[in-house]
Amino acid sequence: MEQQKPEYLMPALIAGGVSGVLSGIPFVNCLCCLWIIGGAALASRLLADRTAGALTAGDGAVVGALTGIVAAVAGTVVEIPFRSFNMEQTRRLLEMLPDTADEMPAGLGSWLSGGSWSSPGFFLLGLFVSAVVFAGLGVLGGVIGVSLFGRKRVPPPPPSPETGPPHAV
Amino acid sequence: MADEASRATRLVLALSLLGAGLWLLAIFLAPVLQSRDAGRAASLIYAVFSPTCHQIPDRCFSLQGYPMAVCGRCLGVYLGFLAGLLAYPFIRGFSKLELPHARTFLLFSAPIGVDGLAGILGIWASPIGLRLATGSLWGTVLPFYFITGVAGLIVERRARRGGRGPAAPPARQPADPDVAHPPGKSVE
Repeated sequence: MEQQKPEYLMPALIAGGVSGVLSGIPFVNCLCCLWIIGGAALASRLLADRTAGALTAGDGAVVGALTGIVAAVAGTVVEIPFRSFNMEQTRRLLEMLPDTADEMPAGLGSWLSGGSWSSPGFFLLGLFVSAVVFAGLGVLGGVIGVSLFGRKRVPPPPPSPETGPPHAV
Repeated sequence: MADEASRATRLVLALSLLGAGLWLLAIFLAPVLQSRDAGRAASLIYAVFSPTCHQIPDRCFSLQGYPMAVCGRCLGVYLGFLAGLLAYPFIRGFSKLELPHARTFLLFSAPIGVDGLAGILGIWASPIGLRLATGSLWGTVLPFYFITGVAGLIVERRARRGGRGPAAPPARQPADPDVAHPPGKSVE
């Protein structure tokens, strides 16, 4: 009998899109990598809903990795308009702390301005790195998702034509 | 089968230890480099970590006057992850491919979940030490899923390549008539 192959792509697109967007929005992104792990767990849940049998940890790892990659792309795109906002928030925060302002090490201001790390090269590097890191986090979330949602109760086999339904009179 | 599981687990564990060690080293290295006028290298490290963490300075521990590359909670998760990796062989051994109970994960996730949710809802702003502690607790349990999951995937793929066909990953062929317990599956 041919084993049914789970459809990884659609759950990964849905969950990766949602978690990527959430991880890119200021204030909401304070949960850091938890969005990605949660998103990958959600992808496992969606995969479990679409798959007839129980899932393996490997299924969770694959759908989680895909979710992480999708989330990296979505998060990077969403983050673009918020980049200057994020920098400004950080600068304001430090200015609000007079003690910090007095003891601010030399060069911290230029570090905060983000001059060097907002270049296209760093942007592409960030996208690549976030894809790799999010894929790893996604593997973790996907496996956890299988642990949480992957078990299924196997329905009883249908009655055979000879015996008929159990309570048939 | 047990040999394959053991080999895969050892491989994944070794690579994870290496990766986690380098990851943590980079987190501590960023502020040190920044303080020693190696701003370019430091910026690179900060940029590498920026997709995974908000890096808000007052939520980061600082080293030599500069914030570390990730916030206190993330640092806790990574330190906890490393601790979990080191503890893994003593707790699980190498040949076990069943995922831990789901309720173990929920138990370890409760503190960081409550703390994070309360922060988002504005109920309280927890001190950085508490963030580190809840992150560490949560991070400790993660390797027990990660190692098992990736090792399970390797064993599955090797078995499939070895020509054992669909019987190799018996995930969708439950042995138990009521609940499926395939390798790499959670057992309640």
